Amino acid sequence: MSKEMLKMTEVTAGYGEKKVLKGISVTIRQGEFVSLIGSNGAGKSTLLKCVSGLLPAESGEILLCGRDNRVLKPKERARLAAVVPQSYGVEYAFTAEDVVAMGRYPYQGFGRHESGADEEEVRRAMEVTNTLEFQNRLYNELSGGEKQRVILARALAQQPEILLLDEPTSALDIHHQTEVMELITKLNREQGLTVLAVLHDVNMASRYCGRMILLKDGRLAADGEPHQIVTKKNMEALYQMKILIRENPLFHKPEIVPIRVLREKRAGRPLRVHVICGGGGAVKIIEELDDRGYELTAGVVNMGSGDCEICRYLQIPHVEIPPFTPVTAKDQERNLALMEDAEVILVSDVPFGRNNLENLRGLERVKGKIFFHKNALSGDYTGGSLVKRLQELGEQKQICYFGDHDEFLGMLQKLSGKEG
Amino acid sequence: MKKKKKRLALILAAAGCILLIYFCTVLGAASVSLGDVNRILLHEIFHMPVDMEGISAGSIAIIRDVRLPRVLLGFLTGAALAVCGASYQGIFKNPMADPYILGISSGAALGAAIGIVLHFSGNIAGLSGTAFLAFAGALLTVFLVYSISRTGRKVPIASLILSGIAVNQSLSAFMSLIMLFHQQSMDQIMFWTMGSLNGKGWNQIFTILPYVILGVILLMTSARELDIMLLGEDTAVQLGVNVEFVKKKVLIVSSIVTAAVVSATGIIGFVGLLVPHVVRLFTGPKHRVLMPVSLLFGGTFLILCDTAARSMITQEIPVGIITAAFGGPFFLYLLWKSRRGGAAG
Repeated sequence: MSKEMLKMTEVTAGYGEKKVLKGISVTIRQGEFVSLIGSNGAGKSTLLKCVSGLLPAESGEILLCGRDNRVLKPKERARLAAVVPQSYGVEYAFTAEDVVAMGRYPYQGFGRHESGADEEEVRRAMEVTNTLEFQNRLYNELSGGEKQRVILARALAQQPEILLLDEPTSALDIHHQTEVMELITKLNREQGLTVLAVLHDVNMASRYCGRMILLKDGRLAADGEPHQIVTKKNMEALYQMKILIRENPLFHKPEIVPIRVLREKRAGRPLRVHVICGGGGAVKIIEELDDRGYELTAGVVNMGSGDCEICRYLQIPHVEIPPFTPVTAKDQERNLALMEDAEVILVSDVPFGRNNLENLRGLERVKGKIFFHKNALSGDYTGGSLVKRLQELGEQKQICYFGDHDEFLGMLQKLSGKEG
Repeated sequence: MKKKKKRLALILAAAGCILLIYFCTVLGAASVSLGDVNRILLHEIFHMPVDMEGISAGSIAIIRDVRLPRVLLGFLTGAALAVCGASYQGIFKNPMADPYILGISSGAALGAAIGIVLHFSGNIAGLSGTAFLAFAGALLTVFLVYSISRTGRKVPIASLILSGIAVNQSLSAFMSLIMLFHQQSMDQIMFWTMGSLNGKGWNQIFTILPYVILGVILLMTSARELDIMLLGEDTAVQLGVNVEFVKKKVLIVSSIVTAAVVSATGIIGFVGLLVPHVVRLFTGPKHRVLMPVSLLFGGTFLILCDTAARSMITQEIPVGIITAAFGGPFFLYLLWKSRRGGAAG
C-alpha cells in the first residue's frame, strides 16, 4: 500500500454555530487523483479549508503526510499541501512570474531573498504549465485560462506532496477547463502528484479522476470509482432532478445527462402504455410519458437506436433485437406479451419497411386502444403492405390517427382523466 | 542583472536625497552664504578642522540648531509616515488606508489638546508634556480600536477600518468640545493638528529616531509577507504566511512609529497616503522595493513641502496644509496619466 498523504478521522468543522462537516473520515494515498463532489453547502470547500489550514477542525484528526495538521506551522503545511482556488483577480500589478515566485515563500527563511534554487524551481513550474512565454506580463492582463495556469504554477512551485483544487475550472470556458484538467492529469500521471479536487462538474470528475467522493450534508455519502458513484440513484439524489446516466463511448466513463427539473402535470391515472417504435422518433415521447407517470413498455426496438437507448436508461421493459435484422414472428410474440396488459398502444413516428411491418401483426388480439402517428404513413417503405395491414386492422379495431405527439398527449390526458 | 540595476537606482536616489537635504538647508529666510553654510556643516556636524573665522554665532545657530535639524526631522517624519502608509495599505488591501486610519490622528490630537489646555508642560520620558499626552492618546486609541474589532484570535480588516472610523469621529467630537470650552487655546490646538516642523530641533529628532529606525527595519522584514497578503488573506495562509501575526506586527509597529512621529510634529496629513501610491506607480507593488523607495520619497516630499512652508510667504504655513495642497493635485495628475497610459497602479 502506498503512503497515506491525507488521513481524516471523524473530522467535524463549521462556522460558529453552523456545523458543516459532521464527521468525515477519508484516506487519500500517494498518486491518487480524487474528486470531491456534492451539492452546494455539502461541505466540499470546507473540507479543503480544513486541510489547508484556513479553518481549524473542531474535533477529529487530520494527518497530512502523517503529521498532525493542528501542530504544523503555516510554512510547513504550505510545503505539504498547495491550493489552487477558483480563478481570481489581483488588484495589484504583479507579473505572472511574481505570482509564481510567491509559491517559494514556504522555503524561504526570515527576510531572505530568493535563492538560485528558488528561481530554478519557479522556472520549472512555469515550464510545466506553459506559462513561461508570458512570465513578464502582468497577471491582471492575462486571460482566465492563463491566470489559472499561473496559479497552478504557483502551487507547483510550492513542491507540495498533495495538490488541493477548489473548483479550479468553474470560471473557464470548455477549452480552458479541459486544458487545466489535462495539465493536472499529466502531473498526476507523470510525477505521481496526489490530487484532491473539488469539482462541480460530475462528468469532468468522472472522466479524469480515478476515485470520486460524494459528500452529502457534511457526511461521506459514497466513495469509489466513477462507475460506483455516478449512478442514477446517487445523481438524482444529488441534483434533485431527473438524470440519465450513460457510458461515454470515448472515455469509457459514466456520464450524466440532465433531463428535467420542472415536471409536467402527472397523469390522472397512470395508464399502461405500450409504444411501438424502433428508430429514434419515439425518444422524446417515451421520456415525456415516463415523466408523466405512465407505465411504459416498448418494442420492438433495434439495439443501438435512440429508442432502444432511452428504454435502457429509463429501465422500461422492452423487446430488443440486433440492428438491421428483421422483426421475426418470435420477436413479435414477445412484443405482444409485453403489451398484453396495455390500455393504450401507441404506434409512434416510425418508418415502416418490410423488416418491421411484423410489429403490427396480431394487434387485433390485444385489448389496448390503438393510436397511430400519421408520420408513419408518409414514411411507408412497404410498397403498400402497410396501408393494407392498417385496413385489415381497422376493420376489427378502432385506430385513432393523430398528427403529432402533443396531440397524442392531449388525447391521453383526456383518457386518463376520464377513466380516473 | 535586474537586481543590480535596481540597487544602483536606489543608491542614486539616496544620494539625491542627501543632496536635497543640503539644498534645503542652504535655502531660507536669513541669508547665510553658501561657503559659510559649507564651513558650518563641516565644522559643527562632521567636526572637521575648518576655519570658522568671519562667521557670526547667529549664522552658526541658524544652520546648526534650526535649519539642519528641521530638514532632518522633516525627512525622518516623511520617511516614517510613508513606510507606515505602505505597510498599512499592504495589510488593509485598501487604497485609502493611511497611518491615521485607525484613529491615531484624532487620539493624538485629543491628547495634545488636553495637554495644551491643562498647560501640561512637564517632561516625561524625554517628551514634552503635550507630546507625551499625544503619544499616549494615539496608542490608547489604536488599542481601543483593536480591542473593539478583535474576534477571538483574529482581527478582521473590515471591522478594524469601521471601528477606526467610528472612534476617529467620536474623538474628534471630544476635541471640538475641548476647543469650544477653551477658546483661548483654539489657535494653538488648530495649529498643532495641522502639523508643523517649526521650532522643532535635535531634541525631537533624537526622541523619535530610535522608534523610526527600529520600526522601519521591523516593517521591512515583513516585505515578502505583505506582497503575498495582497493576493488575499486566504491565499496568504495557504502559501504559509502567518497572516494574523503579520497583521498584528504591522499594526503594533506602525502605530508606535506613527504615534511617536505625530507626537513630535503634529498631524501631517497626506504623506502616508499619497507617497506609497505614487511610488507604486513607478516601482510596482513589491514591498521590497516599494518600502525603501517610499522612505526616500516620503522624506524628500516632506522636506520640499516644509521648505515651501517656511519660505513661500513671510508667515510660516503649517506643513500639513502644503502637503495636502500640493499632494492632492499631484496625485490626481499621476492617476490621470496612469489611466491614460494604461500603466497599472
